Amino acid sequence: MKTRLVFGLAAAGCALAVAFPPRAAADISDDQFNELKKLVIQQGKKTEEQDKRIEQLEKSHSQDQKALEEDQKVHEQDQQKIQQLEQQLRATQQTVTNTEQKVTAAALLQPVPRVPIDEATVNHNFSILGDAEFQYAKTSGQHGAFLFADFAPIFLYRGGENVLFEAGFDFILQNNAPASPGETTTVNLSFAQLDYLFNDYVTLVAGNMLLPLGTYSERSAGWLNKFPDTPLARSLVPSNGVGAQLRGAVPVGEAGKSITYSVYGVNGPSSSAPDGPGNGNAGNLDLGGNVGLKSDNTVANLHGHPSGGARVGYFFPYKPHYDFELGLSGQSGEWDNAGTHLWSAGILDASLHLGASFEAKGEYIKSYYGSDDLGNIRAGGWWVQAGYKLAGLNLELPGINNLELVGRYDFDRDGLGTRTRRYSLGGVYYLSNTLLFEAAYEFLHSNDPTQQNQLILQLSYGF
Amino acid sequence: MRIRLRITTLIATAAVLASVANLKSQDAGTNAPASKKAEQPEKPKKESADTKVKPAPKKLTGAELYSIHCNRCHPERYPTERTAAQWKTILLHMRVRANLPAGQARMILKYLQENSGR
Repeated sequence: MKTRLVFGLAAAGCALAVAFPPRAAADISDDQFNELKKLVIQQGKKTEEQDKRIEQLEKSHSQDQKALEEDQKVHEQDQQKIQQLEQQLRATQQTVTNTEQKVTAAALLQPVPRVPIDEATVNHNFSILGDAEFQYAKTSGQHGAFLFADFAPIFLYRGGENVLFEAGFDFILQNNAPASPGETTTVNLSFAQLDYLFNDYVTLVAGNMLLPLGTYSERSAGWLNKFPDTPLARSLVPSNGVGAQLRGAVPVGEAGKSITYSVYGVNGPSSSAPDGPGNGNAGNLDLGGNVGLKSDNTVANLHGHPSGGARVGYFFPYKPHYDFELGLSGQSGEWDNAGTHLWSAGILDASLHLGASFEAKGEYIKSYYGSDDLGNIRAGGWWVQAGYKLAGLNLELPGINNLELVGRYDFDRDGLGTRTRRYSLGGVYYLSNTLLFEAAYEFLHSNDPTQQNQLILQLSYGF
Repeated sequence: MRIRLRITTLIATAAVLASVANLKSQDAGTNAPASKKAEQPEKPKKESADTKVKPAPKKLTGAELYSIHCNRCHPERYPTERTAAQWKTILLHMRVRANLPAGQARMILKYLQENSGR
């Protein structure tokens, strides 16, 4: 503005000078006047241009000023935002600190409740199974009597995914008469074994094992047997032995078929007579007494070498409740202290299920052993048993669906002159799936006078 | 001797009658009367690639394996009788005692645990 004024006054001064030239000055020509006029016009144009430039600069300056003011405003806003966030952060930190203090205080006051674990994944477990039998028995020529036949608990301890310890006992109540008054409770360790699963096909079993000689020992505990007593020929072979075993099953196809095997070594049968002459007499054969710890607390096998045995079986299920199994087993080893005589046995076993109502099973048993007094002794026997559940007849009669008719034929000869043949007829009434009432009448034919016909009623409970 | 012969005959006859009755009750629903069969003409079989290929054998389920194995020696035990942890222990015992194939034992265990309800 000032600049414009100055230039304006200069231009006016020039114009006055031109309009009123000083007298004392010399006269100017037209050319000089025209030049001066051009010069003034040029100066005027320059002045206008400068004025425009000044205007532009002032506008630009004004815009810059505005931009600067806006930036300052934004900066101020950012500063305010930052202050707010810092305040919030301080507040949050304070809240966290307060919460931690509260949690610590609460933990000191009350323990954290234990989260219940999934039972299916528990790595160890203790269970008790077993059975108990109560009988009334009437032997021909004897008084009938009630008797507590057996209490047989089985303890199972699973110590991991692949380890199981199992032990079974038999508690038996027996008269002391005629030797003395009162009664005696006898506890037998029927088996105590450690099972270790190496893999899907091999399991190690060690201890006092139920032997895989046939299938009766392993699969026919008290309440599983539909008759209240053991087949005669089973007395020719040991039911358990102290040793070690490898066993397993190999599936065949996808329909449930399998091949099973067991291979074992045990101390084996021994002589019950003292060492010396007569030790190897036939009458001293002891199938189950050689357990490694002698009666004088010394540790020794009663003879020089253990016995070995094995079973191989084939299981063929056609469909559920329709199956057939065939097995062959045997054991052999020395039995007298001197090791001069072998004891051997072989068993062919079979079972058949035809539907949910019919089953049949049996064993053919042969044993052979040498002796000092009677030479080679051949013993043997067999048993076959069948059962039919009347539920298969589909009769609408009360109670009949819980009844099963059973029959058994068994025979044995001990190789020492005693032969016994037995026919058993009976029935099983299922009070529940685990409580059975069994009744059987047994017809005995034997050259042993102590073997007489008998009636046995039994209440059997599996748990 | 006579009593022996009679009793043996009685047991054998009972066994035969029982098995025949059992088989008959299984076949009752499947036998069609002969007259109906004679009226229906045989349809010619179409040969295709499918008829020449045998279908893969169906894998047995845990419930089916349970029916096959767990009724052979003792009456059926219901899954609700034990807890899941107890079944794990018992199946280990049964796998050894009955010499069950490992894969089948696992499937039976799974079936029992899923249906134990506890």
